[in-house]
Amino acid sequence: MAASLVRFVRGGLNKTLNLSRNAAFIQTRWETTTTETKPTVRPKDEVTHNRLSAFGEYVAEILPKYVQQVQVTCFDELEIMIHPDGIVPVLTFLRDHTNAQFRNMSDQTAVDIPTRPNRFEIVYNLLSLPFNSRIRVKTYTDELTPIDSSVSVHKASNWYEREIWDMYGVFFANHPDLRRILTDYGFEGHPFRKDFPLSGYVEVRYDDEVKRVVAEPVELSQEFRKFDLNSPWETFPAYREPKDAPKLEAGDKPPAK
Amino acid sequence: MYLQWRLRILYTKILGALQTMPQDAAYRKYTEQIVNDRFEAVKTVSNVGKLEQKINGGQIEEVIAQAEFELSLARKMSEWKPWEPLIDEPPPNQWKWPI
Amino acid sequence: MASTAATRTASGAFKAVKPLISRDIDEAKRRVRELYRAWYREVPNTVAVFQLDITTGQGRDKVREMFNKNKHVTDPRIIDMLVIKGKMELQETIEVWKQRTHIMRYFHETETPRPTDFLSKFYYGHDP
Repeated sequence: MAASLVRFVRGGLNKTLNLSRNAAFIQTRWETTTTETKPTVRPKDEVTHNRLSAFGEYVAEILPKYVQQVQVTCFDELEIMIHPDGIVPVLTFLRDHTNAQFRNMSDQTAVDIPTRPNRFEIVYNLLSLPFNSRIRVKTYTDELTPIDSSVSVHKASNWYEREIWDMYGVFFANHPDLRRILTDYGFEGHPFRKDFPLSGYVEVRYDDEVKRVVAEPVELSQEFRKFDLNSPWETFPAYREPKDAPKLEAGDKPPAK
Repeated sequence: MYLQWRLRILYTKILGALQTMPQDAAYRKYTEQIVNDRFEAVKTVSNVGKLEQKINGGQIEEVIAQAEFELSLARKMSEWKPWEPLIDEPPPNQWKWPI
Repeated sequence: MASTAATRTASGAFKAVKPLISRDIDEAKRRVRELYRAWYREVPNTVAVFQLDITTGQGRDKVREMFNKNKHVTDPRIIDMLVIKGKMELQETIEVWKQRTHIMRYFHETETPRPTDFLSKFYYGHDP
């Protein structure tokens, strides 16, 4: 009797457990109610965009002799493209003018694009602490055209220019101390140029016979693999060019309706 | 009073340096606006705290520093003459991106 | 002076380029000679300071060889660029920023010459 009672109780317990499990473990899938049309698109900041483009126009109006182009990128960064002769005037203006005060050079670098007649772009990134804004100044040069050093304007560019000289081989005129900064003494070539091979020209090892480190021409038993880097996605959708609309010639008849 | 006296000297010098530039130069136009605005404030307001609020360019020492930079810039600008037309157009497709 | 004017007009006919340092080929050549002289004088000092196992004569021959390697260059801007790089190398040598290994790299002591004829290339192995 007692056993059956126990069994009964257990069965009843089981039943309630099952019930409660049924109630608690039915999951509802979370569903969005709103439909998102542009899930990964960066939100536009019209205020910043307009403020930057207004300042870009201000600079271009004051320095028409040097400024070739002004643009605000899709990430709200102001870029000013200048003639290479105008580096010192433009940087000095941006540093000293009351409405600019870009007194901090946060970075300076170069970009190598070998298909262009002036293959190197020199890029200056400036920061204005009073106005909490940044600006990018770009100019261009090639392998043999010297470019004015900006050390007289920003002390920080001393080592940046040495780096550019070392990595790209751009010569800076009037630089106080232009020499190599990253590569080893006796290194030949400029590693960040696009035509510099990935494996370099020399390899270094310790030689036991001559008791020193020697450099020899690099020998690879297998050449680097060529990877297919073509992407099915569009890389720069923001820079898409409008397709040419079919134009009607003067003699053509309009298409029949 | 010393600070205002210094600012007056600096602003007078800046305006003097701007006189050498042509009348329609944008740099002269905008800088004269800024400097005249601040010069008026310096002339009328004597309390330094209120002057700082009115100019709204940071503390008064910062304003002095800005005036000093502007003065050196104005003198260099009359050498560089940046109001002239563009030196040289960029080569075609220099600024085209992506290539 | 006349040659300067001539190069100016000549360059004006094609495309005006910014000179690197030298205005014309004569000035560039003068800079090359200056650099050669500086290297020539520096060689005995280098041999002594770095305690190299070469004679001064060998060092000077190497300097001459390095200069002769670029004797075909006629563009003053390229000459200037080479002179600038040579000056930097000279400075690194004089200030003893370099070490023995960097100096001795000019002599390629440990390298075996690459085979040239077909059979030795075949024996040599992988490289065509």
